[in-house]
Amino acid sequence: MTVDIPSRYQLVSACGSGGFGSVSIYMDSHLERNVAIKTILSESEKERLVDELQGLMSLRSNHVVQVFDVVYEGDSLAGIVEEYIDGEDLWDSHFPQSSPENYLKCLWQISKGLADIHEAGIIHRDVKPNNMKLDEKGIVKVFDFGLARPTDLGAHTVGFKGTYGFAAPELFSGDHVDFTPAVDVYAFGATAIFLLSKSLPDELLMVPPSPLSESQVRTIFSHLDVPIQDVLLGCLSENAENRPLMADVHRLLSKYLLRDRHQAIATHKGKYHNLNSGNRLISLALNTVGSLKIEYNGLGFYVKDRQGEAYINNREPDVGEEIPGSCVVSLGSASRKYYERAFITFDVSNPEVVL
Amino acid sequence: MIGPHGNGDLVGERYEIQEYVGEGGMQFVYLAKDILLGRYVALKTPKNNAAQKRFRRSAVVSARVNHPNVAKTLDYLEFDERSYLAEEFIEGNDLDKGLLRKFYAVDPYLVARLFHNLSKGLWVSHDAGVVHRDLKPSNIMLVGDVSIEAVKITDFGIAKLADEELTEAAVGGGESITNSQTAVGALPYMSPEAISAPDKTAYPSDVWSLGAMMYEVLTGTKPFGTGLMAITEILSDKEPALPEELLVNPQFAGLVQQIYALATRCMSRTIEDRPTARELVQECETLCYPIEQRYLGSVRDARYRWGFISENGTDVFYHNDSIYGPGIADHDPVCFSKFPGGGADRAHPVMKVKV
Repeated sequence: MTVDIPSRYQLVSACGSGGFGSVSIYMDSHLERNVAIKTILSESEKERLVDELQGLMSLRSNHVVQVFDVVYEGDSLAGIVEEYIDGEDLWDSHFPQSSPENYLKCLWQISKGLADIHEAGIIHRDVKPNNMKLDEKGIVKVFDFGLARPTDLGAHTVGFKGTYGFAAPELFSGDHVDFTPAVDVYAFGATAIFLLSKSLPDELLMVPPSPLSESQVRTIFSHLDVPIQDVLLGCLSENAENRPLMADVHRLLSKYLLRDRHQAIATHKGKYHNLNSGNRLISLALNTVGSLKIEYNGLGFYVKDRQGEAYINNREPDVGEEIPGSCVVSLGSASRKYYERAFITFDVSNPEVVL
Repeated sequence: MIGPHGNGDLVGERYEIQEYVGEGGMQFVYLAKDILLGRYVALKTPKNNAAQKRFRRSAVVSARVNHPNVAKTLDYLEFDERSYLAEEFIEGNDLDKGLLRKFYAVDPYLVARLFHNLSKGLWVSHDAGVVHRDLKPSNIMLVGDVSIEAVKITDFGIAKLADEELTEAAVGGGESITNSQTAVGALPYMSPEAISAPDKTAYPSDVWSLGAMMYEVLTGTKPFGTGLMAITEILSDKEPALPEELLVNPQFAGLVQQIYALATRCMSRTIEDRPTARELVQECETLCYPIEQRYLGSVRDARYRWGFISENGTDVFYHNDSIYGPGIADHDPVCFSKFPGGGADRAHPVMKVKV
């Protein structure tokens, strides 16, 4: 079937197809920008178009494509006008493989997009590199919500839907399949493998996929820090309940992307002492009354040693404890006179990932 | 009914006016419901014919910028001989209502974060070839309430593409888009060249305006005063001073000085001495500022050197060194961040709220 596109939109190129329907690029003559218009090829796809629209409308994320308009035929939805991203999808792109940092930046953005999707109560259900696009500024956005489902309706499906290689094992369990946002977490794990080498291990391509062993996963991700390996291993768990939440994956990746970029400033009597990747340790001491050592390990600031009367915000910190964003270190207990004590303020920066 | 519309009006069979939000320099702004997509948008329409002319142009220009720190352009339409621009609706306040009218001066952590985010927004705009030309507090939107979640530049009302300049100068008579209004921008934030040669405003003029705003947020005063007197000051070679009382507390002083230095560099009379937006982003990345939740409370027990704030009935300790701006007394409303502490949490920074 063909859909009448309003004259506001002028065809630029009738190209690719999405997970379903067809996607063409049009020029929006009102705003002189390109948009992607997705239309259905047959009546049977209408339900998926409606699902896609609902999925896209219920969330706002910097890492999910935006809807601008819809096209109706009579009373029924026939097309969705979406933000057009001028760039390759992550199946074709070589950006993730170009450097370890770019790889991590991609994973970080995908995890943010998926965390936002899940927070909006939606399961994407078709997470794969083909459904993620990279623009010229290095921004990754997730698209194609044709299989998306709200979480709260007790998501289930009849028969297999999804993409082999990225579909979680529970989706193969029979005719009537119950699933949770954890299917997206699994697909994220498989995507993380694909983005390294542009291929998937044979085990994941089997129908149903057979689980990778822990040592296989650690070998694949051997260049990554162990905590990241741990979380990706969790994503690929055969048992959906063992997979982490997307928001937690995102938080962990943020921490590592910002490694060595934090700083802290200790202020004492108007003098500043900087703590950062070039100067990792500070020792604060007042005679023999008390002392505190604080160390920057690249991810945060931690109490390394504490002797005698040393306090943070008027409480006794444990060795190994993380320093809060802003605090006062006092040496000498509150029972001493004010002038017998020393106060050092501490400010810890909270850098943001800037893409 | 304010401006051309009352609540319930339907624009272009799609946008239902919910309420009047306010007006920019040249446009009325409404909260409207996009009934096609079921979401809220900010619907803007020009106040008069002169503004109408450049309205579509500015819609097209702002649609080119796609970044989390810039309000997203969603639609442009003409209906009943009026032009309309639909933009992402931002729940929150502008910089004027959200910060300048609320506080005497804003603590340097928050200013650093604003500066950083706005620099990013400005950088992508400039990178897309767009000069804003009207940066002022009412064009900066703060998402959220007490705690600011995000910052977005909006209202590219008189923005233009940098490369349009020559063509216009060559083609345009008195009626060309940029010449049709003599003054470009809001006086207190205008660069010398925007006053003396409005057709010469370019990227560095935006940088000046950003610097002027950051100076105002940090110190609570406009760098060159208000009204027409500002013109003389801006055209002189006087540098706005840094009030010494902002340097009294050493924990703030370092960052205050860094921000002040950056803001005054933005306001260099020699255009070449101003940093580019890209350089601003890099400079802001070196600032050390924590990002923390903010709370409202009132001073319960102010003593000589310290005291307690009551936040919903719970005591939060503060030390005078954590107060930014004017001192506080019992019953004063305050805004603050807090960190875990012994006995009570410790507030830092603390700002008095204007009543």
